[in-house]
Amino acid sequence: MHEVTMEVAYYPGCSLHQSSQFYDLQTKRIFSELGTKIVEINDWSCCGATSAGKFDDFLAVALPSRNLGIAENAGFTEMLIPCSGCYSSHLMAKTRLRSNETLRSDINAELAFPVKNTIKLLTILELLLEAAKQGKFESKITRQLKGLKPASYYGCMTRFAYDVPVSDNVENPQGMEKILDMLGAETMDWSYKTACCGASAAINDSETAMNLMGKIMKNAVHSGFNCIVTTCPMCQLNLDAYQNTYCNKFGIYERLPVYFITELIGVAMGIPLEELNAHRHFIDTLGLVKELNLI
Amino acid sequence: MTLSALSYNPQTAKSFIDEVIERSHQNLYACYQCRRCASGCTVGEETGITPDYLIRLVTLGDRDAAVDNALVWQCVSCYTCGTRCPNNIQSGRITETLKKMSREEDVIPLNPNIAYFHDAFVQGCTRWGRVNEMEFMGYYELKNIGKHMLSFQFRKAYEEIASQIKLGRSMFKQKRLHLKLHTSRGRKEVKQFYKIAVKKKASLKKERRSQIKNRQE
Repeated sequence: MHEVTMEVAYYPGCSLHQSSQFYDLQTKRIFSELGTKIVEINDWSCCGATSAGKFDDFLAVALPSRNLGIAENAGFTEMLIPCSGCYSSHLMAKTRLRSNETLRSDINAELAFPVKNTIKLLTILELLLEAAKQGKFESKITRQLKGLKPASYYGCMTRFAYDVPVSDNVENPQGMEKILDMLGAETMDWSYKTACCGASAAINDSETAMNLMGKIMKNAVHSGFNCIVTTCPMCQLNLDAYQNTYCNKFGIYERLPVYFITELIGVAMGIPLEELNAHRHFIDTLGLVKELNLI
Repeated sequence: MTLSALSYNPQTAKSFIDEVIERSHQNLYACYQCRRCASGCTVGEETGITPDYLIRLVTLGDRDAAVDNALVWQCVSCYTCGTRCPNNIQSGRITETLKKMSREEDVIPLNPNIAYFHDAFVQGCTRWGRVNEMEFMGYYELKNIGKHMLSFQFRKAYEEIASQIKLGRSMFKQKRLHLKLHTSRGRKEVKQFYKIAVKKKASLKKERRSQIKNRQE
């Protein structure tokens, strides 16, 4: 368990500084409300996402290693990575570094801050659950999310198994449900919570990506959800920006807002959604919460 | 494309499977074709070929088919196959390895856009230390549209431009496009990594070419 004053390193990743800037803002805001101190690591670089692995093996390990080294040398023992793609590539790098000493020394030869591979990586859910365990939520939650039926969509990247033990069940994770239940939302089981939305194919192979998202959406609508919640900026952008396209393709009439989990926590804490920049979605996010009298 | 049982050569098959095992760090010998990966494969329906087929192709030593099929490029790296595999084979890593091998063989990918996309991403992020969405998308589209133009498919090029402008405009409206250049001060280190990777790739390619040449002789 963390001490209250303990600081956690924070790696935003490229997407949280660009297309999903408001997720960066929300993450910082929610954790400051909760009293968990997160500190952005100095001069981080891109982790290479899944593309580096398709280009070269060495590069795929070396790029995340630089960030691991920076965080470790600043004295952090844990690092929060909200973006699932970044989380997955850092986790993969850690696994490779552990099993291959020569690779580690090859990489360290180029680095100003050599990597020791001791840091622990945290998804945003893990850190939120930790805060919940310490009872940090209780005093902050001002309203219950009555009537909200969120589809907890984890995406494919956080349940990345390799041979690293992940904190949650890989096939049927429950972390997001635990938090949403605590906030008073009506969570339900559904079968597409870890399905892939095809974010890496959305641009270069849109046919495939639309089919994948169509399946997820169809299942969410059929299960009776009224919104989707995610933690991954890539899933959010993908399911949100292309929603009209794939829904039209699959003959789905409904449109579901795709929230970040931080936005729903914000609503429960009584933070105005405008302050969290939640209006920067493609599918309207404010209408549903207003309709349910949550704000 | 497929290999008949009569032309199966244990020696060449073994050298190929060992190469894939070494580069992907996955033990392909452990596969007993239970096809759990196939039932979980996200793009199985689109490609018509699933990880179990791919592993079978590799174990049979059918190099040409293994590096040149729809799954190798259309795999979205969701790693579902790996989470389901009872023998802990991460087939996602195998497709990644075969992608690299297919580039070394100079095979033109069935869907070249996918290759352009990942190249543009890696080049973008190693140039500045961080990915700039606008910049790398620009590079990707230049290559993609250029390809359409060179093959006189102007309609396709137009459609591509139109769809990207539509997305770009809606993203701009939502303030989700940013024109500021994002860089990392330590990008020299990243560039150095890129150089090492490119050098390694070039030597692998050379090695492979001499192998093919020897075989032909």
